Amino acid sequence: MKRKCALLVLAALLAFSAAGCQASEYERRTDASNTLYAGVVASSFPVSFMPWLSRDGIAPTIASMLYSTLFTYNEETGLFEGLIAKEWYYVDDAGEPLLREDGSVDYDRVEAIYGAADKTYLPVKVVLNEGLTWSDGMPVTAEDVYYTFDIATNNTLSNHAGALAWTSDLQHGYSSGTLVEQGIFTYGHGAADMGYAISEEERDTVLYLHVNKVLGAVTTLFSTILILPEHIWEPIVTPTNQLNSKDPTAATLAQYGHPVGCGPYVLDADRSNAQVIVLERRADYALTAEDGSALYKVDTIKFILYQELNVAIYALLKGHIDLLDSAISTNYLSLFEEREHMFVSNAPGLFLQTLVMNVNPVAGEKNPIRDLLGDVRVRRAIALAIDQDELISRILNGSGTTVAAGLMSTANPLIYNPDAILLPEGLEARIAEANALLDEVAPTRDEEGYRTLDGARVSFDILGSVGEQETIAFLQVQLQKIGIEVEFASKGSSPEKTYLYNSKFDMTIQGVTFTISNLDIMYLAHFVTLGTSSNYGRFGDPDLTALIREMRTTLDLEHKYELILAIQSMIADEYYKVPLYCSNVLSIARTDRYQGYVTVRGSTVFNTDTLQNLERRDAS
Amino acid sequence: MKAVVRTLGTAGSAILRFLAPIGRFLRSVWRHPKGRVGLLIVALLVVCAVFAPWIAPYDPYDVTERAAKGLAPSLEHLLGTTITTGQDIFSMLIYGTRVSLLIGITTGVAIAFIGAFFGILAGYSGGVADTVIMRVVDILLVIPTLPLIIVLTNLFGRSYLMIIAIFAAFGWTGLARVIRSLVLVLKNANYVKAAELAGASRARIMFRHILPGVSHLLIMSTALSCAGIMVAEAGLSFLGLGDPTAISWGKMLAEAQSGGALLFGHWWWIFAPGIGIFLAVFGFMRIGLALEEMLNPRMKQSNGLFKLFRHLDNARLEEVFSQMDAERGNRPWNGN
Amino acid sequence: MNRIYVLKRVLYAIFVFAVVITLDFFIPRLGVDDPAARYYPPQGNMTEIEYEIVKQATREQYGFDVPVFQQYLNYLEGLTRFDLGTSFRSGSPRVSDLISERLPWTLALSVTNLVISLFFGILIGAFAAWKRGRWQDTLLLNASTFTTALPAFFIALILTFYLGFEFELFPAYTNPNMVAEFDWSWDAIKVVMNNAALPILSMAVGGIVAYGQSTRNSVIAVTNEDFILTAKAKGLTPRTVLYKHILRNAMLPIVTSLGMSISGLIGGAVIIEQIFNWNGMGTLFLEANSTNDYPLMMGIMLFMSAVAIAANLVTELVYGLLDPRVTVGDRR
Repeated sequence: MKRKCALLVLAALLAFSAAGCQASEYERRTDASNTLYAGVVASSFPVSFMPWLSRDGIAPTIASMLYSTLFTYNEETGLFEGLIAKEWYYVDDAGEPLLREDGSVDYDRVEAIYGAADKTYLPVKVVLNEGLTWSDGMPVTAEDVYYTFDIATNNTLSNHAGALAWTSDLQHGYSSGTLVEQGIFTYGHGAADMGYAISEEERDTVLYLHVNKVLGAVTTLFSTILILPEHIWEPIVTPTNQLNSKDPTAATLAQYGHPVGCGPYVLDADRSNAQVIVLERRADYALTAEDGSALYKVDTIKFILYQELNVAIYALLKGHIDLLDSAISTNYLSLFEEREHMFVSNAPGLFLQTLVMNVNPVAGEKNPIRDLLGDVRVRRAIALAIDQDELISRILNGSGTTVAAGLMSTANPLIYNPDAILLPEGLEARIAEANALLDEVAPTRDEEGYRTLDGARVSFDILGSVGEQETIAFLQVQLQKIGIEVEFASKGSSPEKTYLYNSKFDMTIQGVTFTISNLDIMYLAHFVTLGTSSNYGRFGDPDLTALIREMRTTLDLEHKYELILAIQSMIADEYYKVPLYCSNVLSIARTDRYQGYVTVRGSTVFNTDTLQNLERRDAS
Repeated sequence: MKAVVRTLGTAGSAILRFLAPIGRFLRSVWRHPKGRVGLLIVALLVVCAVFAPWIAPYDPYDVTERAAKGLAPSLEHLLGTTITTGQDIFSMLIYGTRVSLLIGITTGVAIAFIGAFFGILAGYSGGVADTVIMRVVDILLVIPTLPLIIVLTNLFGRSYLMIIAIFAAFGWTGLARVIRSLVLVLKNANYVKAAELAGASRARIMFRHILPGVSHLLIMSTALSCAGIMVAEAGLSFLGLGDPTAISWGKMLAEAQSGGALLFGHWWWIFAPGIGIFLAVFGFMRIGLALEEMLNPRMKQSNGLFKLFRHLDNARLEEVFSQMDAERGNRPWNGN
Repeated sequence: MNRIYVLKRVLYAIFVFAVVITLDFFIPRLGVDDPAARYYPPQGNMTEIEYEIVKQATREQYGFDVPVFQQYLNYLEGLTRFDLGTSFRSGSPRVSDLISERLPWTLALSVTNLVISLFFGILIGAFAAWKRGRWQDTLLLNASTFTTALPAFFIALILTFYLGFEFELFPAYTNPNMVAEFDWSWDAIKVVMNNAALPILSMAVGGIVAYGQSTRNSVIAVTNEDFILTAKAKGLTPRTVLYKHILRNAMLPIVTSLGMSISGLIGGAVIIEQIFNWNGMGTLFLEANSTNDYPLMMGIMLFMSAVAIAANLVTELVYGLLDPRVTVGDRR
């Protein structure tokens, strides 16, 4: 009797569970509207959006769709393209633009006028687009830009150290909450006193900036800082309730939860939570496509959270999402090859993997074997022996590109130096040359074929994460041919603090990316600055340092590009960071509901170009 | 010369005294049908671990022997290759025995030593030592081990030494309890009382008289805890807390899951390490169970320990068996 | 029940808890001189000064800027208000909020697993004991040798593969919307059951067999005792004998192992939760670990220890109730 009861209970439970199958019918399959389902792999979604959030995975993406910057930077042309702003130029003492006849910046005149020592800043004039509005209907004006830049420099009100870094080249600053230097001028904020004539009609669209005398000063200001609405934040933000407050008031929390921005989309807070974020397109977005239709084609975007990549891929295969905004490993390619309705975006990447050597350890970390890395011949030998093609074909399954020794991606034609390769073709020849070089330094070998120095084997540890084990295993085989032994050493959870900043390593694998917009900071951080910077190996060369400093400070853009090319040659010659490969960015989308996905270098299939090009198919 | 002979004699007899119960136990286990199966399996695994380079067709650590990724089982690759790296799964299975057996046996032996030491000390000395040790046992039992290991590997890096140390530090508690209750019974045996009267030191009594008495129980518990440790280690390696360079079955399962074996339908990649774990645990458990059936009258209708200790107080023995039952209730199927 | 026994047990539990609190507080701080730096590794673009500002702000926010002993006292003071600290996550949620959010989901899995394992385990075990020596009994014994050697997470992977992928009976991974859309409606409950089926099944396979085996053993042991013979001789029906005498006494070892497994209710399913992406305490702990979120890790460990201590205490008290023999030593 009891047994029959038990069986009945069991059957009931199973039936119930299976019945849940129908209840969990995912909505995408039946959604006929213009809604894009984007899967994102992250541990959690933020539920509130402080506008300048930078840490969490998806927050920067969402923020860039809710808010806008003044311009976007086109890496390939080196020019700023208008977003909130329409145009910008340097001006002379009379306020006239320093432009050539074709409309481009006249750097010769800029250098002529402002190269002199008595000029302490560069004046920049920015003209905004007209007709832009915030999502609550208020117009976007120059006062909003003033407010944004102003609060970025005022840590008492912003409590955001990153904003301080963004505006470090703007000559506008506070000390303990008091304005000590003004560098932003609008109609309502002292433009006239400074001698900048802004007429009544222009009051909403014109502003002037004083920046440091470096060409890169405007880059972050124009393309990184998201502009905030003054009319929303000015009443709320006080020294006790800061913009990035650790204990925000109800008003601030309300704003975090319902952000007001001037971007193409708004957050639908009611339908969003920690697992789903819904964005709605703004009907009143002023920027349009060339034919006058809406610039962004998708009405609604739903981001769905997946905590694990396999889960997300499973969802994509099942049709629960349209696309996956995460780069996936090339091992998964064969899953998608035979399936219908799949779009594979195999975009060239921007991140280069390099092998960094500890060329200049602190005194306590020197030892005879590690000192070998200070000898450029040894480094060149190692660089010669690395077979990038094999790495790409075995580890990346062919989805990658080789990297020049100058560490610059070919994506930047203006600054890519094709001569900074310096590695001859032909693996055989390279290995022979490498062996010849090493024979000058450590000719003796032990019984296993590894070179020895004073009886000790030449052996290095490569500090890497668990995912880099395969790479290091291949490097082992490749470097064995020149008699050098390398071994995997685990990075641990805070490698900078435990190993890298105090020179406790031989070599490590580091991902780098050099683009026109970040060179001013990155060259310094990677090749000059010691201490807590990306210059783990404490590399320092006076000539290179001088070149980098000159590159940062010159006011002649063409000269700057020449210097960048020269710097690449020097970097290539030093073999301090030896290139390994540049992995493609592989991402997948379904084409049964949408078509028109665009592959963009360095990005997944979810990018601005795609959003501006997608079309809803009639079959659903 | 005489001194040399004498030291050799004492050393030799000490070793023999150590080996004798092990020899006894091996013989009795062999006679038991379940135990025989266990011994054979464990022997097979030990052979695989020791002779791995000769048994495995490929060297999974050698990058030049990698094949195409994600191959199905075939004659060249008996269990196919991994999707992520192209390693031969069968070879990985063979090499995985090394890690499992090493950790299982080392930790088991360490637990045996520590548990026996504290159990005998607590049971025989009584009083303050007993209370202190038992309180420590209670505290150690309530701290959740898995989160603790996760925290410590985060702080101090991942290594098998850390895992062995933590398992040993937390795993001896159950064994100590059981040993202690048996020692409480043995304390009143005639030969122990005789030794006390003869003036033997406490240490000597504990080592020469009590320890042999608990040896059966000790070895049985060791076999069973080895099994439990292996499952726990597989779980830890699955979470990624083991040594990242070593090949272990738990890590193979984790790689299979994160590498998409489920998505691709490569069931062999999941079954292989699972069968490995199963065999190892099963073998040790058979040995332990065989011994337990011989000792514990509640398991089978034999007289077991009663026969061994018929001269002792039966009532106290009840407590020993309750402890053993509780220990059996603590086996690794509790979640994990 | 004996009052002294109870008092001793309670005082003792409090003592153990105090020790555990101290350990829980200090262990994550071993070798971490600056938790703020660990959590907030330097961003490439920040200068030294800016980085110091950020770290100091983080320290102040989380109370790391006072000496360690003062932090300990603050922590204790917070505990009295059930405040386990603030997590490092964005939005700085309180640890107690995070735990109370996720706890019900873990309990949904483990308690259901426990109930199913107990219910079916005891039934099967008693049945096997009744049919001792016949094929039903040997089947249970063989099954138990099999499942005790298979770790639960392996069973989980197999079940996911076959039931989840091949035959698509249940979802292989938890629906990410399940938590957010849960509104106690029938549909929502069915979705939860649908998603919870595989995790619970993976754990229950081993649990049922284990409890079954345990029950069978203790039932057999009790059946051989004298008082059962007396009961049979008295002429009671076999069914009465089974329920009134055998089962009641055979339950004692089950109660002990039940007490042990209560502490495993919370932390025991870590691996299973991770496999299925089930948003419970296990995954919360793993998330905290991967982001070096010390307040959260400490809070969860403390919580688990507290539950283990409480479970032990309750088990001992209940055992004392069921089997007064153990309280003997405490009579005055």
